[in-house]
Amino acid sequence: MLVIGGGIAGIQAALDLGDMGVQVHLVEQEPSIGGRMAQLDKTFPTNDCSICILAPKMAECFRHPHITLHTYSEVTAVSGNMGDFSVKVLKKARFVKEEACVACGDCSAKCPVRVPDKFDLGMRQRGAIYMYFLQALPMVMTIDRENCLYLTRDVCRICEKVCTRDAIDFEQKDTEIDLRVGAIIVATGFDPFDPVGLSEYGYRRYRNVVTALEYERLICASGPSGGHLLRPSDRKPAQTLAFIQCVGSRDVRHNPYCSTVCCMHATKEAMLAREHDSAAHSYVFYMDLRASGKGFQRYVTRSQEEYGTTYINGRVAKITEDLEGNPVVWYEEPLGPATVKMKVDLAVLATSLVPRRGTEALAKILSVEVDKYGFFKSDPLTPYESSRAGIFVCGCCREPTDIPESIIQASGAAAKAAEIVAGGSC
Amino acid sequence: MEEDVKTFKDLQREVIDRGLCGKCGGCYSFCSAGALHALELGDTGLPRYRDEEKCLKCGICYLICPQINVLNDDLKARFQWKPPIGRYQRITSSRSRDPTVMTVCTDGGVVTALLLYLLDHNLIDGALVSAKKGPFAREATLAFTRDEIISAAGSQYSESAHLEELGGRYSTYAPILPEVKSLEKQYLRHIAVVGTPCQINTIKKMQCLGILPAHLIEYTIGLFCIESFSFDDLARAWLEERHGIDFHEIRKLNIKDDFLVTLTNGTTIHLPLEEVDKLARPACLSCTDFSNEYADISAGGLGSIDGYTTTVIRTDKGATLFRNALRHGYLEEVAYTNADERTIEKTKMLAKIVSFSTRKRLRAEKRLRELSGATEVECEEE
Repeated sequence: MLVIGGGIAGIQAALDLGDMGVQVHLVEQEPSIGGRMAQLDKTFPTNDCSICILAPKMAECFRHPHITLHTYSEVTAVSGNMGDFSVKVLKKARFVKEEACVACGDCSAKCPVRVPDKFDLGMRQRGAIYMYFLQALPMVMTIDRENCLYLTRDVCRICEKVCTRDAIDFEQKDTEIDLRVGAIIVATGFDPFDPVGLSEYGYRRYRNVVTALEYERLICASGPSGGHLLRPSDRKPAQTLAFIQCVGSRDVRHNPYCSTVCCMHATKEAMLAREHDSAAHSYVFYMDLRASGKGFQRYVTRSQEEYGTTYINGRVAKITEDLEGNPVVWYEEPLGPATVKMKVDLAVLATSLVPRRGTEALAKILSVEVDKYGFFKSDPLTPYESSRAGIFVCGCCREPTDIPESIIQASGAAAKAAEIVAGGSC
Repeated sequence: MEEDVKTFKDLQREVIDRGLCGKCGGCYSFCSAGALHALELGDTGLPRYRDEEKCLKCGICYLICPQINVLNDDLKARFQWKPPIGRYQRITSSRSRDPTVMTVCTDGGVVTALLLYLLDHNLIDGALVSAKKGPFAREATLAFTRDEIISAAGSQYSESAHLEELGGRYSTYAPILPEVKSLEKQYLRHIAVVGTPCQINTIKKMQCLGILPAHLIEYTIGLFCIESFSFDDLARAWLEERHGIDFHEIRKLNIKDDFLVTLTNGTTIHLPLEEVDKLARPACLSCTDFSNEYADISAGGLGSIDGYTTTVIRTDKGATLFRNALRHGYLEEVAYTNADERTIEKTKMLAKIVSFSTRKRLRAEKRLRELSGATEVECEEE
């Protein structure tokens, strides 16, 4: 069995199958499993610490006797049919010996390269040798070949010289392995929509306009500001916050669909602002407030009553900036005639969920269809089946879904995939 | 394999021992920002080993030195360098619209105005400039407020006189880059640097490699630079004997079409540039860059009427910065009476920059030719 994608959906599918005694290969393109959930600070509707509930699942997956992890790897070719697929997996060289590295960090402390860190969405800089995130599994360093000065310009090798475990290996080569599997589960997840094109919100033009995922990193204890909710421009505490909903979602110019998770994560983020600072006040600007999951409506009520969150039914027309770098949110009062301007410390854009970059290329490799928005196609009555027999889809790569729903889908897809190998050898 | 990597030892042999080191401090600032601590700056500002044992022979200090050409092709490609004065989108004459800035700046105050715009709009957290610490002393400093930026103005570029007291010598050059090393420790993310061509060259080489601490530098504003001066006893004697200038009477030094010495009594003495070459720091004589060819925006008095700064807008970032500074009223361009005048003036301005650039380039090439014979032999022996 092959699972593509090591986020929460892929991990859950692999665990379910592994527990059934099925041999699972889990392929993840990043240096660590964990996916988007690892980037979140808390989860709704319980405000549990995201990594705290994810890490045990990651660890279980990592040491499961029936699960073989292929991190920093990509599926490059698939042939065969349901019950007997041949899969080629490219394992990219980390230039670090996984068995020797203890992730002490001496190398990354001395690496002279500084590049924007992908996990922290560019809000922090890292070296060319780095750990994907603090709780990464496998817990080893990785050298990024595009930026390493030895691999690009034949100088440096500082990491090799400071490593006391002799774990750096510049001779490592990419390798390709062949796998034979009975079925494939795809769980490649989503990317946040890039709001730069929506120039009315001034993202990237104004430093205090951030996306919701960036906000998650900002309030996270392991994030770039150490868990202090400090706005980017002057690192002053952000006390008045505007959450702008449906950025790219339900927008005929971009993604006409509802991304389903944003009303709830904005609610959570507003509550967290107050938890970080009792003087914080949040305004959520929404079109329709969608709280249709279990316990979700109660969560919104709690946000209003216990955390003082103000929900304003209105679409924000634009964001400008005053001379102090404060975002100014322009909107119309629902019942009033006038345009209102609200000065805030930080504006958070709830960007829509779009398929992960590379989804289309993967769909070609797998010979499965995607829908008009780029998500993997599936039918309402066979929700986990892709357009090709033996290939299943779950989580955000088939439609925007929240974490509980992704886990439900992962278990469903695992059960469907297990039918194929039940009694078989894979 | 490791033996192939050129290290600080090679830098000593090829640059420092030959008198080509411009004391930009790039090698030292990199080495300490990276917490390698193998280098330090000596009393004269020249880099040297602090602890040779600590040198990891990474070879990066060698690559980023403005006098070393290994990265030049990369740099030229990356910044779309074109002869004769590097890439530029537009050359204009402009000045600050802030009366406070205009009273402290000798020319148009453009550098200060740009920095103030960046700071006011939260586009930078601070600016690395060389601030006046006394009539003859300048020191590299990180300015975080409007006041700090304005107090650093005045001799930013228009007077090339960055006089700094270094032992018994007076030098017109403030080593800015060592200050950069301290940036890494502060949680600052965007810095603007005002610097001479050699300083900007090092920064751009660091950025080519993607190394600290240059990753914090968001904007580079370059000063036109023919040379900086060191006033040792010999030079002072020459000024006094040949031109009857008492060193202590000098209020300010400036370069426009020629070398201007303004005395405390208000008189200005013009000296031909060729003559003052002998006051130049030796390293400057082998530098090929007059108009700061890799900066986002370069600025200097040359070619503009009094009270204005010649402004060379080079990169897209520089163009956006200049446009926004104009739009927000920080700057204004010189008003020409008609299109013809505009064309003529701009052509004249460009011609002057080209002519100064060519002069500096030829001077450096000659100087390097003079030096090269001996060194090549030396290298073969190694």
